[in-house]
Amino acid sequence: MAHIKTWFGDIELHNDEIARSQVLKADIDAMAQRLQQEDFADFDKECRGRLREIAIKLQVVSSEREYVSLLRAVMIQSAKQRIVAAFAQPDAHIIQLIDGIDDIDESINLLSERLSEWCLLTSETSMPEDLLEAFASSPSAQSPLAQEFAGSISRLCELRQEIANAIELEMRTTAPNLSTLAGELLGARLIARAGGLGPLARMPASRIQVIGASKALFRHLKYGTKPPKHGVIFQHPLVRGSHPNNRGKIARTLAAKIAIAARLDFYSKKVYPELLSQVEKRVGELQTAERNPEQHEDKIP
Amino acid sequence: MANCRPQSATPNNMKIRYHKVPGVFLLDKQLATKGEALYGERTFDGYRLWNPRRSKLAALLTKQAQVPLAPEQIVLYLGAASGTTVSHLANIVSLVYAVEFAPRVARDLVRLSERVTNIVPLISDAAHPDYGPVVELVDLLYQDIAQPRQAEIAVKNAELFLKPRGYACIIIKARSIDVTEKPRTVYKREVKKLEELFDIEYVHELEPFYKAHAAVIARLA
Repeated sequence: MAHIKTWFGDIELHNDEIARSQVLKADIDAMAQRLQQEDFADFDKECRGRLREIAIKLQVVSSEREYVSLLRAVMIQSAKQRIVAAFAQPDAHIIQLIDGIDDIDESINLLSERLSEWCLLTSETSMPEDLLEAFASSPSAQSPLAQEFAGSISRLCELRQEIANAIELEMRTTAPNLSTLAGELLGARLIARAGGLGPLARMPASRIQVIGASKALFRHLKYGTKPPKHGVIFQHPLVRGSHPNNRGKIARTLAAKIAIAARLDFYSKKVYPELLSQVEKRVGELQTAERNPEQHEDKIP
Repeated sequence: MANCRPQSATPNNMKIRYHKVPGVFLLDKQLATKGEALYGERTFDGYRLWNPRRSKLAALLTKQAQVPLAPEQIVLYLGAASGTTVSHLANIVSLVYAVEFAPRVARDLVRLSERVTNIVPLISDAAHPDYGPVVELVDLLYQDIAQPRQAEIAVKNAELFLKPRGYACIIIKARSIDVTEKPRTVYKREVKKLEELFDIEYVHELEPFYKAHAAVIARLA
């Protein structure tokens, strides 16, 4: 006796005869819904070869042609539901936001360069750090066009701030541990590079360590150059702010903790605030060792 | 190719010939299938040009005439992406089950299957097939996925869905398996894994259309 679950219903086969069946008749929505919710076990090849025949026998459809057209309608419906569900994930939203920030940064840089060139036409000194402030007092500010141009840059800066705030908010709820440990923006960037919180949670720490350094990593694997010590996690203040000799070790510790944080966030949602202080402790040890190399010779080869 | 006879006049007097695979045509030397344009490709007289640089199957058909495709076939296509190749394949065979995981490109695939009556879209991960209740036994397994475990995925799907003595056409993307190794070493290793389940008919590299890609044509043992 074989029990098979198909897209059009549950069927029990007894000596190749249909013993019992519970089918959904041509109800596209119900069939698509069922595919979304239930678990289906695989069944043996012989039954699989008879799917069309069984559907016709049970009068789900009247011909092979109708079998294909009903199946197609159900699967298009189900595919649409799956696509909507995939885009409704909070991490999909975070990825859009962080990519948006990167685009805006690029635009701000490009426009700022243009504005500074513009100002140089009427000014004899080169442009100082804060471009927009300097612009306001420069002779070029007389031109309404230039003013409009500078205005769009400052509007972009405001928009960037708003998006950054939105990311912080979303990250706090979707990935609290990752946010505390790595910071909201860096955490969001890691999620974006990994393709979602789920993929990040499944990544080994060693890979998280070099996310964003793929060129250097593959150069290493292919030609045996030095391996990269850090990818985007370089942006973390503990890595960036440390002595270059220690950065590799700190990046390794941080990546390991980030892996744990991402797994906590994805699988359990428990908040575990000690992660950051554990990394800080290790950084402290390394810094002491750096300052007194003699006492710690055994620890740092 | 064999069977060279003109079929109809096209705007610029192109010569239309049959490819050895039924349903595939050669307009002068360009590959084509019959149907309406679906993704912005050029058409002549109802023939859709099929660019071998946009489709690995087209590259294989350009280089090699013996591809096990036939009009009555049911095909399970893993790695359908936005459906460029699927749309041409649907002109050649009777039914295509098109599997794609990435929701972004799958949207195009769904739009395509709404227009073409013999494409069934499946939004699933071919590495963890959950389309068991849907897909019937198929005559051909076509796989073009950028995954390190390509051979294992092909074996798993063939075990579940391929008819006895059914064909498989598996595109090996060497760069997804190991970037550091020479493509030919990778092909050999992957073919070895496929040999556990399949009789290998031939392995054909897809240069110059695709770098570090090879097509394996195999038959379920």
